[in-house]
Amino acid sequence: MSKTDDTKLIERCRSGDRQAFEALLVQYEKPVFNAAYRMLNSRDDARDVTQTVFLKAFENFDQFDPSRRFFSWIYRITLNESINWLGKTNRLEPLSFEAVDEGKGPEQELESARVSKEVQVALMTLKIDYRSVVILKHFLGCNYVEISQILEVPEKKVKSRLYTARQQLKDALTGNH
Amino acid sequence: MAIEQKYTDLINADIDGEISAAEKAELREFLDENAEGRALHDELSSMCATLNAVESEDPPPHMRHVIMNSLQPTRKEKESPGFMQVLFATPALKYAVTFAAGVFLTLSIVNSSQLSNQAFDDVTDLVGTVSDPIEAKLASSVSVTELDLAGTVSLRSAGSMLILDFDLVAKDHIEVEADYSDRTIWFNGFAQLESGGTAISAETGRIRLGMEGKRRYAVYLHNEGGRETTVNLRFLADGKVVHEASLDYTPAR
Repeated sequence: MSKTDDTKLIERCRSGDRQAFEALLVQYEKPVFNAAYRMLNSRDDARDVTQTVFLKAFENFDQFDPSRRFFSWIYRITLNESINWLGKTNRLEPLSFEAVDEGKGPEQELESARVSKEVQVALMTLKIDYRSVVILKHFLGCNYVEISQILEVPEKKVKSRLYTARQQLKDALTGNH
Repeated sequence: MAIEQKYTDLINADIDGEISAAEKAELREFLDENAEGRALHDELSSMCATLNAVESEDPPPHMRHVIMNSLQPTRKEKESPGFMQVLFATPALKYAVTFAAGVFLTLSIVNSSQLSNQAFDDVTDLVGTVSDPIEAKLASSVSVTELDLAGTVSLRSAGSMLILDFDLVAKDHIEVEADYSDRTIWFNGFAQLESGGTAISAETGRIRLGMEGKRRYAVYLHNEGGRETTVNLRFLADGKVVHEASLDYTPAR
């Protein structure tokens, strides 16, 4: 969805237009849910966080800066809500590989599902800052500038976090943990 | 020997497609001369390809419905009309419901045994029984947010009438039981909007509904004297309770 489309919908949302809000929801529910899921490693928690994210967005459209892209605003809310959720459930610290890995599934498990699970296990071993940058880059498709805006850190920091995160992920995925 | 940060930055920028032509040429020159750099580039490229290939998770099927139902009216938004207002705002429905009410009244008179203050024992397939248009006030409301069942159930009141307003989506067939312990309350009608196919049966102190998919319907209860009461809801799938909730009605003092 283009920035212009988002801007028009947000204008309507500010007037309490539910149809406009539903159009934004249709567009962004999947990436928001996926970001929350990758942060939290739980579909149920991701569902609850996603609901909170959209309800907060609906109640706070007045605070949205129209010079920014909507996705950067809602992704920032998503990461913050996910971190709050991890804090509430005492899961802010990264987990050891063994603590997350629940063992291999049945042999007939689909290759894609196996890879997805392995990546998720590796992601959960990263610190929150590194996990966030990987999710924004690889699961939400944001570029350096966008990540920098969402996380409100300099672009240089984004690059260094991404590099460190990738090194750690590589180690986790190749068994050097 | 460690690789200079300048080149690790270029390797990452290359993998991310955020590298200029000049930088790319510089990186190529470095990689031609440096085996360690080439190995790092290959490893990170492979890992990033794996990350990018991970399929997205589909959100739960009813999440959107739950979110839309959970929205609070904003200052600029008019409160959406209640079930009865929607029902009577549509001319075709208004006449259909009026006709159904007439049929229902006739059937009730013919079957004089039903004229007492007793619950109707079997109202399966009964649709569209209603009295006058009602300005019903919201007494209480609950949200249901299970994975395979979502929506809201509201209790509205208007004089001696209580209205249970169901707005639900169920992935598979579910049974809904509404218990009202006060035996002076009795079933007084049923109507559905936007859908058909809801089965209902009533007995003293309890109604049962069977439904699947998206359904919106209202159950009318007669509450003589507008007494304070509680309606206990149970949602069952395959005979097992998947959700429970209570709705309270407290008359205004």
